[in-house]
Amino acid sequence: MEENAGLEPPGPEVCSAQPAVRLRPRPFRNRRQAVPSFRRLGLLAGVALLVLNAAGCDRTPRGDTLARVRSAHTLVYGSDQEGGGPYIYPNPESPREVTGFEVELMKSLAHEVGAAPKFAQGQWDRLLQNLDAGMVDVVINGYEWTEERGRDYLASRPYYVYQLQLMAPRGGRITEWCDLKAPGPGGRPWRVGVLVQSAADTFAAERGGPFVEVVRFDGATDAMTAVANGQIDATLQDLPAAQFYRDRFPSLAFAGAPVGRGYYVIYCRRGDTQLREAIDRGLERLIDSGDLRSLYERYGLWNDAQGELTTLSSASLHAKSQSGPRGLALIRRYAPLLLDASFVTVVLSVGSMPLAMLIGLAVALGRLYGPAPVRVALTGYVEILRGTPLMLQLYVLFYLLKLPPWVAGIAGLAINYSAYEAEIYRAGLQAIPAGQMEAALALGMSRSMALRRVIVPQAVRIVIPPVTNDFIALFKDTSVCSVITLVELTKQYSILANSTGGVVEFAVATSVLYMAMSVPLSWFSRWSERRLGASGAKGGALV
Amino acid sequence: MSAFMIETSDLVKRHGSLEVLRGVSLSVRRGEVAVIIGSSGGGKSTFLRCLNGLERFQGGSVTVDGLCVDAATTGSARSAVVRQVCRSVGMVFQGFNLFPHLSVLGNVTEAPVHVLGLAPERAEARARDLLDRVGLLDKVHAMPRELSGGQQQRVAIARALAMEPRAILFDEPTSALDPRMTAEVLSVMADLARDGLTMVVVTHAMKFARQVADTVHVFDGGRVVESGPPDQVFEAPRQEATRLLLAETSVAA
Repeated sequence: MEENAGLEPPGPEVCSAQPAVRLRPRPFRNRRQAVPSFRRLGLLAGVALLVLNAAGCDRTPRGDTLARVRSAHTLVYGSDQEGGGPYIYPNPESPREVTGFEVELMKSLAHEVGAAPKFAQGQWDRLLQNLDAGMVDVVINGYEWTEERGRDYLASRPYYVYQLQLMAPRGGRITEWCDLKAPGPGGRPWRVGVLVQSAADTFAAERGGPFVEVVRFDGATDAMTAVANGQIDATLQDLPAAQFYRDRFPSLAFAGAPVGRGYYVIYCRRGDTQLREAIDRGLERLIDSGDLRSLYERYGLWNDAQGELTTLSSASLHAKSQSGPRGLALIRRYAPLLLDASFVTVVLSVGSMPLAMLIGLAVALGRLYGPAPVRVALTGYVEILRGTPLMLQLYVLFYLLKLPPWVAGIAGLAINYSAYEAEIYRAGLQAIPAGQMEAALALGMSRSMALRRVIVPQAVRIVIPPVTNDFIALFKDTSVCSVITLVELTKQYSILANSTGGVVEFAVATSVLYMAMSVPLSWFSRWSERRLGASGAKGGALV
Repeated sequence: MSAFMIETSDLVKRHGSLEVLRGVSLSVRRGEVAVIIGSSGGGKSTFLRCLNGLERFQGGSVTVDGLCVDAATTGSARSAVVRQVCRSVGMVFQGFNLFPHLSVLGNVTEAPVHVLGLAPERAEARARDLLDRVGLLDKVHAMPRELSGGQQQRVAIARALAMEPRAILFDEPTSALDPRMTAEVLSVMADLARDGLTMVVVTHAMKFARQVADTVHVFDGGRVVESGPPDQVFEAPRQEATRLLLAETSVAA
C-alpha cells in the first residue's frame, strides 16, 4: 500500500478526496545554514564514507549501545539548536542551556531508559552522519519518518504527528490551500515558499497543481519574511514552527486548516535494536501516562492529530519499508535534477565573474590613480565587502532590497568578488615598473590612455592565474545562493542525499560534476596565459 | 617665435627639506645640442624630468616651445600643457622603458597611432624608416626582451622620433650599457645632432659631450655652476667643481 493506511486518519487537509500524501524528509526549522564550506566538508565526508564502504564494513559501532548508555548513565542525543524553536533552542533565561519540547522529551525518555540525557550539537542535515560515526547514541530533531531513512536506520515509534500550515498575507486573496488551485493575479502561478527538502516542499511540488510555483528557502522564517515582504504569495510550514513564529510576523495569517501530515521519530543505528526497544517502551509509558500530552500542551503543540500516537508503533512504520535503487541506478534516476542544478551553478558563476572583474578593475584603478576622496571611499568598499560574509550580503540584497533571486545572486557574487579582484588588479598594476607610465606620458599619452594602452595590458598577464583561482572559488561559492532560494548543485546534493539516503552516490556524482566544470576553467586559464604571452611575439602590434 | 626651444628660470625643486634644484636658469636654442654633466646627486636628471612634466617643481618656470608651466600651474590646466609639451618633446630613458607587451614595431607606432591619430599604415611606414635609420629594420617583429640593451635603446630613440618631436631629452641614455653598445647608441645620437635636432643630453660620456655638444652645462649641488662651449669647459674650466668632476672622470676612464 502506498499510504500509511490504517495509520492515517482522515485529515481535513486536501481539496479533493485523495488520500493524504506520505510526507518526505525535511529539516523543519529556521535553518540558517552554517557556513557553506561545511557543505563541501559534507561532500568530503561523503567521499570518506565511500572509502569506508568500499572496505566492506557495515558500521555498527560498539556492540550494545543500550548497555553502554546504562553503564555510563548517559544518553547522548544529536540535535541542532540553531534557530530551532520550539524544538530545541537556547534557553532565553539561561542561554548557555537549551530548552524546547524535544529537550524535555529527552529528559523524560532518558530517565525511562535509565540514563541522564546529554545534548550534542550537530549541523541539522549531518545529524545522521554523526550517528553513523558513533558520536551520538540517537538523533531527535524533528526528523520525520521516511522510507529511505527507515532502510538505513532504526526508527522509534512516532512521538509527534505534525501537519503543514499555509501562511499568507492577512486579508489577501489566499484564505485556504484550495485557493491555490486557481490561477493567481493576472493568470500567474502562485509563488509558495517552502523550506527546501522539507515535507512542505514535497507536498507543494506534488500536490500544488499547475498554479503553484514552489520557491525553496533555507530557513522557515526566511520564507515567512519573503511573504511579509511581498516577494512571494504564501508559505507552507510545519505547524509547530508556524505556531512558534507566528507572533513575529503579524502581517501573516494562517490560511485555512492544516494540510498533510507526517511523523517525527527518533533514529538509532541499525544494530541497536535493544536501545530502540527501550526508547519505544519509554515513549509508550509517556504516551499512556499522559505526560507527553501535558508536555505538548505546555508548548501549545497538542492537537487532535496527536491522538494517533497511541496506535502507532515502529513496527507499523517499518512494515512498508522496502529497498529502493542504489548506486548508479540511483544517480541515473536523479541525473536530470543534478544537471539542472549544474546549469544554475554555471549561470551564476558565468554571469557574475565578468561583472566582478569589471567592477574590480574600476575599483583598483580608482584606488591607485583616483583623487583622495575616491581612494578613501574605494578602500572602504573593499574592506567592507571582504570583511563581511557573502551570505550576509546576499540576505541584504534579497530580503532588504527585495531583488529577484537571480539578480540578487549574480549581483551579490559580482559585488563580493569585485573586492577580491580589485586587490588582485591592484597588485598586478603595482607590479608594473613606474618607468612604463613615465614612458607613456612622455609620448604625450594622457594618464587614462597610458593605463588603457600600456599598464593594464601588462597587468592582465600577471593577474590571470590568481583571477582564475578566484573564478574557481566563486564557482563553488555559488552554493551560498541557496539561501536566497536558488537550488544549485550543492543544494541539490544536500536535498538528494537527505531524501534518498544516497549520501555516497550523490557525493561522488556531485564532485565529478564540479570537477568537470572547474577543470576546463583551469585549462582555459593556461591557454589564455599562453596566448597572451605569445601574441606579442608574433607582432600584431597595431591592434 | 623665441629663439629658445627650452628655457627655465629660477627652477626650484624640493623633496621635503632637501633642495634638489636651487634656482636653475638655463636655455637651449633651436637646433642646439646641450649636454649636462655633473656628479651624481647634482640634480641633472631631476632637471630634465622637470622639462617635460614628469616631475613637479616648487619654484620658477619652464617654457618649452612657447608653452609655459610654472610652479603655480596645477590640476587639469597643468596636465593639458604638459601633454602638449610631451607631444613636441621626446624623451629617452636610462632604462629604455620599452613596452614589453608590444613588438619593436608596436612600440614605435603606438603613440603616433593613438596620440597623433595617424593611420596605422602611415605610422608603420614611418616606423620602418626610423628603424632603418637606427639600424634595426631586421628586428621589426622582435619583442623587446629579445634585444640587447643597445638595440633596445635604439628602438627607444626611434620611438621618440616617431612623434616628430621638436626636441628630445636624453636621460643618461648609455649608463646601463657596456662600451660596445654605448658606442652604437652614441653614434645614432651624433647622427641626430648633425641633422639639427634640438637635444638636451644628461650623460657621463665625456667624449661624446666634447665632440657633439654645442654647449656644456655643469651641475653641482642643484645649481648650474658653469656653462660654455665644450672646448672652454673641458680645456679651461673656471670652477673648482668642474675641475674635480673632470679629474674624477678621466681617472675613471
